[in-house]
Amino acid sequence: MIEVKNVTKKYGSVVAVDNISFKIENGEIMGLLGPNGAGKSTTMNMITGYVEPTEGTIIVDEYDIEKKPKKAKKQIGYMPEGVPLYNDMTVKEFITYMAQIKKIDKKTRKEKIQQIIEKTGLEEVEQKLIKNLSRGYKQRVSMAGALVGDPPILILDEPTVGLDPKQITEIRNLIKELGKTHTVILSSHILSEVSQICDKVIIINKGKIIAIDTPENLENKVTNKNIVYITVEDNNDKMKEVTKTIKEITKIELIKENSDKTKQYLIESSKDTDLRKVLFKELANQDITIFEMKKADVTLEDAFMKLIEGGN
Amino acid sequence: MWAIIKKELKSYFTTPIGYIFIGVFLIAFSVSFYFTVIGYGNVNYEYIFYTSPTIFVLAFIIPLLTMRTFAEERKNGTEQLLLTSPLSVTKIVLGKLIAALVIVIITEIMTLMYFGILCHYGMPHISTALTTLLGFFLFCLSYISFGLFASSIAENQIIAGIASILFFVILWILPNFNEIFTNISLIEMFYKYTQGQISITNTVTYLTFTITCILLTIIVLQRRKSVK
Repeated sequence: MIEVKNVTKKYGSVVAVDNISFKIENGEIMGLLGPNGAGKSTTMNMITGYVEPTEGTIIVDEYDIEKKPKKAKKQIGYMPEGVPLYNDMTVKEFITYMAQIKKIDKKTRKEKIQQIIEKTGLEEVEQKLIKNLSRGYKQRVSMAGALVGDPPILILDEPTVGLDPKQITEIRNLIKELGKTHTVILSSHILSEVSQICDKVIIINKGKIIAIDTPENLENKVTNKNIVYITVEDNNDKMKEVTKTIKEITKIELIKENSDKTKQYLIESSKDTDLRKVLFKELANQDITIFEMKKADVTLEDAFMKLIEGGN
Repeated sequence: MWAIIKKELKSYFTTPIGYIFIGVFLIAFSVSFYFTVIGYGNVNYEYIFYTSPTIFVLAFIIPLLTMRTFAEERKNGTEQLLLTSPLSVTKIVLGKLIAALVIVIITEIMTLMYFGILCHYGMPHISTALTTLLGFFLFCLSYISFGLFASSIAENQIIAGIASILFFVILWILPNFNEIFTNISLIEMFYKYTQGQISITNTVTYLTFTITCILLTIIVLQRRKSVK
């Protein structure tokens, strides 16, 4: 469990993090979202004890990070932004070094290191020098460094930046897997990633928290209408007339005419009504063939943009 | 702390730094050996330590050992890994200090071969030789701790290196300007040990200087947490 209470961080007169408070329960995956310079990394650095908050307290698994740093830090596996690594070490040396400075019991150390190497898929490169690895592997080595010793809390600062799509999926799956047994905080500015992985999201802008909620709730919060995209074959051009008979429709708009003579419309209704059933029946009655019908998803992206703009 | 010592030692020997330190020192030592032993027929092992070439190269090779320690970690961001680990800052600093000292001790052990040569041809004093080695160790200890401090405040390793070299050179030339500085010169203090005396005053001064530098380094690293 992590508890952040009224934490402020100032750099001179610049306020990087402004009086934030939140709580992360055990076993939760929490996403920290925000534009560049919003204070995500600063927040993470404060939780890991790398940076001291100007005001406020941070409690990591019952230990105050200021008063009992050793115990608190032992609970945390941290993967910093930009994956700092010792380039002249081999992968195995690095993971062993991390295990040593994290004071992992000597008896189980070797075994644990081997487990981590397997878990992160580093067996093939374990004897290679880190400086010769590709970005994706470096990311995994950094992840392995955070994971070694199995700390109950994982803090991952932008874990998928700079990876190719396949690697991103792999890392995401790994995080999901870890989330079952660990408390995870990850920061990202890739919103789809956060909505896929996280149980809860904190949106932070200019050092302030503007929203804490589940991704679904955040998406719902910002929507005030329901949009359906529908592609139909409508040779007699009856579409507009038909839709007039359905009262719930607030707006209809022709988006494009396809080369196969089908037309795509956008149909809007109020937030609580789902038109798909009514449309399906009505259009079938009028002999209009539906080729495709899709409810438009409100993405976390929309929610994010709206909240950030609202904050400004 | 053991992990830090091991890692630092390894990096001294996986990079050329460790070899350069030992090699360059031994070359300077050999030059002194040639002039004092072969040139003057002097068989004083201790005297070789206190000659210009050996003292002079130290000014350049000790910063080589220390300049990377903290400046490099900060530049690469690996400082984050260290400072977010359960290790205390004190242990991190002491670990790095001890690793550098191990290199000095290795060098001292290697100079014993010259002692062996001298034993073959003459009768050097063992006790004086031992006090000289102790003095040399203390001298390097104080200088290394200053180097660590310089590395902890400097933004990059080159600046850290230059700062330590300047410090050493200033210490060296100050006594030439005024007699008063002779008493505070770390180099002058070393002289007494080569005479076979373990001076309490000088030993305490070396240790105090070392402790001050180490404490300052720890404070700088702790303080950086709140201003970073």
